[in-house]
Amino acid sequence: MKRKTELLAVAIVAILVIVILPLLNASGIVSNFTINLYGKYLSYAVLAISVDLLWGYTGLLSLGQCLFFTLGGYMMGMYLMRMIGNLGQYHMAIPDFLVFLGWNTLPTFWKPFASFPFALMMVVLLPGLLALVFGFLAFRSRIRGVYFSILTQALTYGACLLFFRNNLLMGGNNGFTDFKLLLQQDLRLPATQRMLYISTGILLLLTYCFCRWLTKTKFGKVQRAIRDSENRVLFSGYAAANFKLFVFVASAIIAALGGALYTPQVGIINPSEMATDKSLEAVVWVAVGGRGTLVGPIVGAIFVNTLKSWATRAYPDYWLIILGGMFLLVVLFLPKGIVGLISDCGGWIAEKFKTTPVVPDLKQTPDADSLPNPQPAIRNP
Amino acid sequence: MCKGGGANLRSLFHATMLKTKLAALLLFCSFVCGAVASDETVTRQKLVQAILSSGDEQQKLLSELADDNSKIVHDTLLSWTRDEIYLCETANGGAKIPVLLEEQQDAEGKARAIRIDDGKYLADEKGAELHFDSSDLNTLDTDMRLRSAVQQTLDLLALADPNRDARRDVVQKLGKSQKKQYLPVLQARLGKETDAGVKKAIFVAVATINLGDADPSAKIAAINQLAKLNSIGSLDDLQRAANSQNADVAKSAEAAIKSINGYLSAVNFFGTIFRGISLGSILLVVALGLAITFGLMGIINMAHGEMIAIGAYTCYFVESVFGTGFTFRIVMPFSIGGHAPGFGATIPGLHASGWFYETYFLFAIPLSFVMAALAGLALERTVIQFLYRRPLESLLATWGVSLILQQCFRLVFGANNVQVNSPRWLLGNFTLNDVILGYNRLFVIAFAVLIVIGTWLLLTKTPLGLLIRAVMQNRNMAACMGVRTARVNMLTFAFGSGLAGLAGAFLSQIGNVGPSLGQSYIVDSFMTVVVGGVGNIVGCIYSALGIGTADQVLQQVFGSPVVGKITVLICIILFLQWKPSGLFAARSRSLEG
Repeated sequence: MKRKTELLAVAIVAILVIVILPLLNASGIVSNFTINLYGKYLSYAVLAISVDLLWGYTGLLSLGQCLFFTLGGYMMGMYLMRMIGNLGQYHMAIPDFLVFLGWNTLPTFWKPFASFPFALMMVVLLPGLLALVFGFLAFRSRIRGVYFSILTQALTYGACLLFFRNNLLMGGNNGFTDFKLLLQQDLRLPATQRMLYISTGILLLLTYCFCRWLTKTKFGKVQRAIRDSENRVLFSGYAAANFKLFVFVASAIIAALGGALYTPQVGIINPSEMATDKSLEAVVWVAVGGRGTLVGPIVGAIFVNTLKSWATRAYPDYWLIILGGMFLLVVLFLPKGIVGLISDCGGWIAEKFKTTPVVPDLKQTPDADSLPNPQPAIRNP
Repeated sequence: MCKGGGANLRSLFHATMLKTKLAALLLFCSFVCGAVASDETVTRQKLVQAILSSGDEQQKLLSELADDNSKIVHDTLLSWTRDEIYLCETANGGAKIPVLLEEQQDAEGKARAIRIDDGKYLADEKGAELHFDSSDLNTLDTDMRLRSAVQQTLDLLALADPNRDARRDVVQKLGKSQKKQYLPVLQARLGKETDAGVKKAIFVAVATINLGDADPSAKIAAINQLAKLNSIGSLDDLQRAANSQNADVAKSAEAAIKSINGYLSAVNFFGTIFRGISLGSILLVVALGLAITFGLMGIINMAHGEMIAIGAYTCYFVESVFGTGFTFRIVMPFSIGGHAPGFGATIPGLHASGWFYETYFLFAIPLSFVMAALAGLALERTVIQFLYRRPLESLLATWGVSLILQQCFRLVFGANNVQVNSPRWLLGNFTLNDVILGYNRLFVIAFAVLIVIGTWLLLTKTPLGLLIRAVMQNRNMAACMGVRTARVNMLTFAFGSGLAGLAGAFLSQIGNVGPSLGQSYIVDSFMTVVVGGVGNIVGCIYSALGIGTADQVLQQVFGSPVVGKITVLICIILFLQWKPSGLFAARSRSLEG
């Protein structure tokens, strides 16, 4: 019963977002600007789901999801840069910033990016491989909890510094911009933007379905068990590290795909997108929306970003205070976020009218094993 | 006849106020300097003689002046080289009076003339001061020979300067000129010189001058001398010598360059180590605070970086109060009745100067500790005490706090970096075998040592330290024994934050202070804590110094701060593979996490 209503709701929202809204745009009722803005929000929502898959379902707070998101964006950006051809400022066959750095020929690693399938492959491969190597090292030595967060933050910080360098030949400070063509389509045409919007919507739907399926399987159960009590999972004979590694790589790829669709819609990708702040911001979306649910991150990403668009224009000096304050309030008073608040209200109403007996929902206890005794360590002096 | 000598009444009136003041000053000067007055008259007479004479006699008089190390001689000769000495022919008798024009001009661009022979203003017969335009007067004639003689006298005077840095600069200048005429001057100075640094500079200068000698054997001797002196500044000269036609000269010059380069890399190495240790000391103070809060409560305080900024801004604030005062105004983002409410405050400055101003830092250090500790206390009471059992959430909540604080800094102190003027006693440096040791960095190292000792004493020798360790080891058991854990948490957190504030005070002396100052240190200091082993102070010391030094050394090796930093991060990640819980892990039989 509940499952059916959920499916129905998802289908309705999906049709609304993926079919109706673009149709309205094509007929001129919804502006191109709005479509572009929502396309951006939807790719943020993909990122938010990837954060939630790690944090909400596996208990791994990664502060490096933006790194994977931006890496995906950069891989797509490289393809888009190649597609500029000689339409750039310098009318050379190589990207403008390379001309600026004194290059005459294309560096070798740039060459294959003229092919779209290759770029798409790299969008998946590079972040996936990075996540695989980093995750393998981190989980093998049982780095968990806040240590994992700190390490992912350090990784992101290091990568951010690296991408700021011109010597990396990835555009340095300015990153990639001034894109012209995507698959022979002019990026500035509303029709292209609409197609990008629809693709992002479909990606979000697919991501949702994949995560929905994954979390319902036995794998998902182990995942949540790791979140609630990793030691018990280990004692039950599961190789928790492998499970965590899989989730880490999967969420890195999801984030990268989101980033790949983000770049052509926003028209620019630069290293500031992978600053540690951005990763934390993505965590805010999940926390505000409601962690441990799949709808929560989507709601959170769209809500917080809409608020941001408004607040940065209306109160530019106070946006950070609003964001920080909101985060503080959500962590302190609304641990389940907006979605949790709504379902709590629903439960409250249901109890009030006594139509159905309340079934206690699976409580989100992130650190169940640390609850009775947070520091049981008996340390030798 | 003095042109423009008719001093008009208006300017006379105009100058009356200044004149009375000046007269008082002159009176005072003559009163105090009564003893030197006679010397001064002699000097002034000599100067006038030198100016008015010509030819060989003038040269002789000038060289005599070089023995007279007084300010008048120096200033007058300097004006001479700048063509600022004028000759005024008086109406009666036609005697020429050398004068200087005062810098302050009246409304018509005219200025009073100061007589060189007695330092008084030039006046007419009735005692009224005369005003001149510089174009009205005849400039003293100078030629090349005279100019170089005057310049040489000035150099000689500078060689006797009481300030050793000034002396060294002159010696270096004379050496670089490679003119043989300076050799006797330099040799003479060597006899009187007491400062070792200046002595070495003179040796180098003499050798550099000899390097310009046409005779190859003299050249080679000079080259060997320079190599022996390890003179880094002579590398360019030696390079020129290495390109010379004479094979022997070129060979010995190349050997000298090689030896000096070897010395140079040793100097750079020790300089890097020194900077690394000073960076490590700051990291240590920051990380010590984190190690305590993290070790005790398992709380990751992302706002720890903002505690650093609070300390640094406190320093800026104290400096402003000692100086010109401090004003801020915050306007609310909404308006009531078309009028945006806001609040602000102005703290009047003390306009202190001299030694009193220099002491501001001594007030700023404890105050920055107190301010950061109070901020930490408030943070603990309002946010963190609710999150003790949820470390991940505490990380996120404190990040929210850090955003709010950063924006508050921007609102109060402005988005741009502010500069904190260091007290003069922290500004200089001293050179030990060409390794430059800045006083500010030495001070930071010394203070870090003090802080570490203080923290150690607090933790091991005081009742509070006992309670802190008890709570650290077993919170529940400590609570059962009657320890008020909430209070201990509060105090510990405040102490940890205060340490961050101290680090901020030091950082304000090393670089500029900005709203995101703390952000650049927070990742490093978390790394330090993780590498050192959480809650372990000894581990923290080792890892802070290790990371600080590695950072600086790798920067040198790769020639780029960014690549160095990235390498350090990668090394840390790999290090944690080997020792997952840090250098000095707390041994425990319980399951972690």
